Amino acid sequence: MAGRKGLVINDEQMQMIDSILNKLQRVTASKFVALVSTSGQPITTAPPHTDADTLSLAALAAGSFAATRQLAEVLKEREFSLLFHEGRESNLHVMQVTEQILLLITFGHDTQVGRVRLYTGRAVEVLKPVFEGAENTTGEERIIDRDYSREAGAAIDSWFPGEGDSQA
Amino acid sequence: MALINLAAREINYKIVYYGCGLCGKTTNIQYIYRRVNPGARGRLVSIATEEERTLYFDFLPLSLGTVKGLRTRFHLYTVPGQSFYNASRKLVLQGVDGVVFIADSQISRLDENVDSYLNLWDNLIQQGEDISNLGMVLQMNKRDLSSIFSVADLTELLNHTGSPVIEACAISGIGVFETLKTVCKQVIAKSSRP
Repeated sequence: MAGRKGLVINDEQMQMIDSILNKLQRVTASKFVALVSTSGQPITTAPPHTDADTLSLAALAAGSFAATRQLAEVLKEREFSLLFHEGRESNLHVMQVTEQILLLITFGHDTQVGRVRLYTGRAVEVLKPVFEGAENTTGEERIIDRDYSREAGAAIDSWFPGEGDSQA
Repeated sequence: MALINLAAREINYKIVYYGCGLCGKTTNIQYIYRRVNPGARGRLVSIATEEERTLYFDFLPLSLGTVKGLRTRFHLYTVPGQSFYNASRKLVLQGVDGVVFIADSQISRLDENVDSYLNLWDNLIQQGEDISNLGMVLQMNKRDLSSIFSVADLTELLNHTGSPVIEACAISGIGVFETLKTVCKQVIAKSSRP
């Protein structure tokens, strides 16, 4: 089970990540590529604006991948490192990058699965050191300071304007 | 700690609603979904059985808007409460920033509440959580029913951390937003640095 490590992605790391994802999307002719955390939070997509509901996608893909890992454990397999869903019009391929990061790629039947697997595997090798750097990033998380905390507290207080807790 | 994307100016917190079967976890999330401004919420995703019991999790993303230039989101999850789904509960707890433990106040549910509370701490400890960094709130649900424990008794049984306690009747919305606001403030306070 993954321990609790921080993940702070800075501008430089994100530029590298986006560049890798854009290239992957281009060479695989896929619909879109996304990076999500294993705790179910979206990080980025290529192209940056997609019609897909990336919040739900991230939560469901992370849950599905986590369940797959447990299946491996039950079957006494060391790991199932990728997950593949085949659909009528599109497919979803999920691969682990690091302990905290998953790569999702969706593509239609005009793209060969083998090509996707080949280039995705290469992309994972390049992405891995970038994220290992992000997991060790320190200092930038200080952006969550007392000012942020105070302003967020005020925003939370006014989050449900006109809503009383006793209203049905 | 939360996932911080400095390039996208975005921060995401994960909050998990925990508790025994039928204590009201999904009811809390469904009430929030119905009453929150539609512009601030994403899709409510439920992985449930045909009998509408949670099989894996419910998921609801909420946006707080932009705070100090950072787009701030809370991702709300529930776990399946039935005791045999512990493998699923462990998975949902991964990367959690705050926990709402929902106690069913009925005297007849004592054993289930205690088992679920102990199971929560077992799972958190097993996955190496630094528990002092977690936000934690105890919601005492179903306060409208008869044959319920007193607040003092439930606090003694289910709140060894001295976390905030909120009385609720989730089905009619009482205490639901107060619980959410309290845990959200806690996770932000825990993640902030002096």
